[in-house]
Amino acid sequence: MMRRQRSCFVHMFNAASAALFILITCAVENIGAAEVPAVPPARHENTNVIMISLDILRPDHLGAYGYPKGTSPQIDRLAKQSVLFENSIAQSYLTPVAHMSVITGQYPRQHGMVSFEVTRDQVAKRTLPEILKYYGYETAAVASSPEFFMRYDTESGKIVNPKDIFSRSFDFYGRTMPDETGSTRVNPVAALNWLKANKDKKFFLWIESGMLHPPFSQTVPAPYKTRFDPPGYTPFYERFPIRLGRDNTDRGVPTEALFHVYRGDYYLDFEPIYHLEQRDVDFIRGRYDAGVFYTDMFIGELLNTLDALKLTGKTLVIFHSIHGESLGEHGYFFHHDVYDTEVKTALMFRFPDSNKAGVRIARQTQGIDILPTVLDYLQIPANHEAQGASMMPLINGDEAGYTGSEYAFIDRLPWWEYVLGGWHLEHQSEREAQYTPLEIGKMKDYRALLQEKIGGGQYPPQCIAIRTNQWKLILRERSALLEQISWWNFISGRKFPVAQVELFDLSRDPLEQKNVAGEHPQVVEKLKAKLLEWDENNRKNQALAKPASGPALIIPYP
Amino acid sequence: MSQHDNRNESDGALINRREFIKKTAVGVGVAAAAMAMPGFILGKAGAVDVTDLPMKYKDYNVVFVSFDALQAAHVGALGYPGNVTPTIDAMAKQGFNFTNNISVASWTVPASMTWFTGVYPSEHRLTNKFSVFNPPNNNVISNLKKLSPELVTLAEVLKQNGYATGGFTGNAGVSGGFGYSQGFDEYFFEKGKFGSMGVSIPKGLEWLHKNKDKKFFMFLHGYDMHGQNIPVEGFDYRFVDKGYDKRYTGSAAEQEALREEGLEKGTVALRDEDVKFWRAIYDEKIQRTDARFKKFLEEYEKMGLMDKTIFVLTSDHGTEFHEHKRFDHGFSLYDELIHVPLIIKLPKQKTGKVIKDQISSIDVMPTVLDLLDVKMPDNAKKQLRGASLVVGLKGKDVAKDVFFETDYRQYTYKRGIQTKDGWKLIYTLENKSRELYNLKSDPHETKNLVEQEPRRAYELEQRVFAHFKAIGHDLNSRQWIPGLNPVYDSQAKGVQKK
Repeated sequence: MMRRQRSCFVHMFNAASAALFILITCAVENIGAAEVPAVPPARHENTNVIMISLDILRPDHLGAYGYPKGTSPQIDRLAKQSVLFENSIAQSYLTPVAHMSVITGQYPRQHGMVSFEVTRDQVAKRTLPEILKYYGYETAAVASSPEFFMRYDTESGKIVNPKDIFSRSFDFYGRTMPDETGSTRVNPVAALNWLKANKDKKFFLWIESGMLHPPFSQTVPAPYKTRFDPPGYTPFYERFPIRLGRDNTDRGVPTEALFHVYRGDYYLDFEPIYHLEQRDVDFIRGRYDAGVFYTDMFIGELLNTLDALKLTGKTLVIFHSIHGESLGEHGYFFHHDVYDTEVKTALMFRFPDSNKAGVRIARQTQGIDILPTVLDYLQIPANHEAQGASMMPLINGDEAGYTGSEYAFIDRLPWWEYVLGGWHLEHQSEREAQYTPLEIGKMKDYRALLQEKIGGGQYPPQCIAIRTNQWKLILRERSALLEQISWWNFISGRKFPVAQVELFDLSRDPLEQKNVAGEHPQVVEKLKAKLLEWDENNRKNQALAKPASGPALIIPYP
Repeated sequence: MSQHDNRNESDGALINRREFIKKTAVGVGVAAAAMAMPGFILGKAGAVDVTDLPMKYKDYNVVFVSFDALQAAHVGALGYPGNVTPTIDAMAKQGFNFTNNISVASWTVPASMTWFTGVYPSEHRLTNKFSVFNPPNNNVISNLKKLSPELVTLAEVLKQNGYATGGFTGNAGVSGGFGYSQGFDEYFFEKGKFGSMGVSIPKGLEWLHKNKDKKFFMFLHGYDMHGQNIPVEGFDYRFVDKGYDKRYTGSAAEQEALREEGLEKGTVALRDEDVKFWRAIYDEKIQRTDARFKKFLEEYEKMGLMDKTIFVLTSDHGTEFHEHKRFDHGFSLYDELIHVPLIIKLPKQKTGKVIKDQISSIDVMPTVLDLLDVKMPDNAKKQLRGASLVVGLKGKDVAKDVFFETDYRQYTYKRGIQTKDGWKLIYTLENKSRELYNLKSDPHETKNLVEQEPRRAYELEQRVFAHFKAIGHDLNSRQWIPGLNPVYDSQAKGVQKK
């Protein structure tokens, strides 16, 4: 109503000569307006949005999700003020792929972020920050995972920071500076400064942290770094160093040390030289937890800052993990596959009015549902390209009103081996990565094998999974090929078989330890049919994994 | 800009429909606009007569005329300064003249079937000549009964209600082969032709003489204004500048070649004088057609049927004369292609009314059925997507946002929306490109505002996709691969001829 009157005034000023006509119109409009109750402004008119995206965060290592070790008092505080989703599933196990699904609401095959070397034109542009910009939001980001800002220019051989896939819709795109260990994977504290300087704007702030990424605890300062270490422990990789003569500064658990561990054995020169004990596993997990704890301290600072700036009451906070991490449950320590350890994510929404605080939702939801939910809450029309569904009905207790799929679909896209062959083996290994001379020698052949089998910008089909809260089915159409090109088989010098079909009963076996496909053929059949139907329906816009020709900008990873 | 526009500026008489809306929207502008257009009668006296009309015409006749390819901007009653449509204008003067009628499509096959089914082209599925095009052997001609067997046509409903039904057409896009004959007792179309009203009118009159004592529904159609029809007596070039160097002669082959060149290259190289020439040729065709229609009305009057008949005059689509650097129609959704006349003259109606509300050709079928007050089968009632305009004839605001589409020869797949407040978005599915125009400030659609108005573009895009999803056509559920299928037999190399 107020806007209507204002527009009448504008008319009068602009068309004084036709004042009589205008006055009549205004009178009529006002009569109409008086009868109709005033429409409150849409939420996007006055609600800020903060999206906190934590890479590598496993919900089951947070107190709010039942972890007993006291890793997350601040996140637990946030959880009490939020609606918490207990079964939120990421669309992929790799950071840029999974996160693009979150901010576009699309499966990876649709949004096109299907590898670490796609060009910006290959990827969907209409992301959450892009849409919010249409609605007058100031958009800002502070990211600490290099996946989101760093690219290796294959032409110049230099690391560059282009205005790129993830940064293009932001007015301000901040990234963390490397700490003394040389890593940018530090807490994105610059976000707090941005908030202080921009608190009066209507904003969307994306706060991303890659702190948890291996090397576990690299950037966590003392005393927090060793907080969860087993007492008196010396890491096995220091007792059996990969390369002699390197300095022994504690830079966290080295990624390459993890890359030498498979199914309990530590391999060097393709031989198992040490079998990991529980203390070794506890140490690795403890270093991961140290990262969670230090991240949690930052979240506490952020929440306090929001309170101090009086932003809490007008800001929607979305807290989520981009994907999880395997901590030995499947034989390896990294994110490498589509198991729940990797794809189950934390997800909470804290609403400005504390609405529904403390509500926990067990219904399975997907990463692609986050964008529709945010838009729905802000009263912005849903983007037709989004494949997920708003979770607001679930939040409001209307489970029947939720139109999302009862299944979650996960793509092992790109294959981890494809990513590995793209940069790690080609560039990183020639610099200072920790491999033995013998391994480095054989790595050339391995790289050639990867190139031959899965190179050339194509990605092999069907390493896909479907999930309900009870069942998870993983299909690997090319299991023999996976076995042939497996990193673990390369580094161990052995042949660990890869199953073509895996079925897990999550209600009894949440860590997916026992493949029960043979015992439940009907479940396999039903889920397989659903999964293949999804696969078929989502094939049509398959994007290439890299540009057809010319130099590429590769995300330097892992 | 073309010669045509220069002429507009110099004589100052032609009022673009958007400018017209602007003028009439400001109270004082109404009278000025009415005076500028002698064809329009406005004012209190007319309004009284109009409100006295019963608006229920049970068992009256309907004559539904399609002047194929008549661009709104070339109709006198819609503001064209040249006196090329005196008969149509006279009927507009006596009837309801919808000055903002937007067709659902920009070429004959999809656009016309919407009049007869009341559903969008995506729904009746006559979106191309071929429902399956897979040369050389596996081509299937589109046919309503095969593509959409559940749909009931206007002629079928009227036939069920005791009407004699006759269609007299120029074939091609409204050929009986596509199923246009569905529901007609008699349906005339001469195979292989873009036929003239010079042929369809005599056929129609012949039928009328036999059926004039029954209640009847007559569809009269001709390609006389269309690029593929040449007057049987040849052009006399009555509107062509004396000095024109005759680069073009106005032939169907030239028009086809220009269209194909535009499709191939994206633009056609035409000089201003060529555009002026083609518009002059168009005017001659229109004037000749109008004269043929005049003769039809004279014969019709002699049969004493005028006071028992509802007339609907309209066109399926316009045509492009280089407004957007191409030629002919079908491949885009600009105003020159989808803005068409719609005139409804009721029995005994003597004074007309201009209705500026934006409406859609999808509203025509519900309007005709409403006026005739016929018993509607349940399936027909359910299928109609449009709304009756009868309340609009009575003076209520019927303005609405309208949708349109073209899959022209699978060369392109476009969908669009035009809001009643003058914004238009065209979405091209094969490349996800968007065009946003502010028709109030840019009636010629020259300035794409997608970058300047991202929110508006986003919201209108959502509306387009929501609209098609709501009618059962999720535009995201399939891939849109462009090709270039033949539409004329002359192009159909290796394709079985119809």
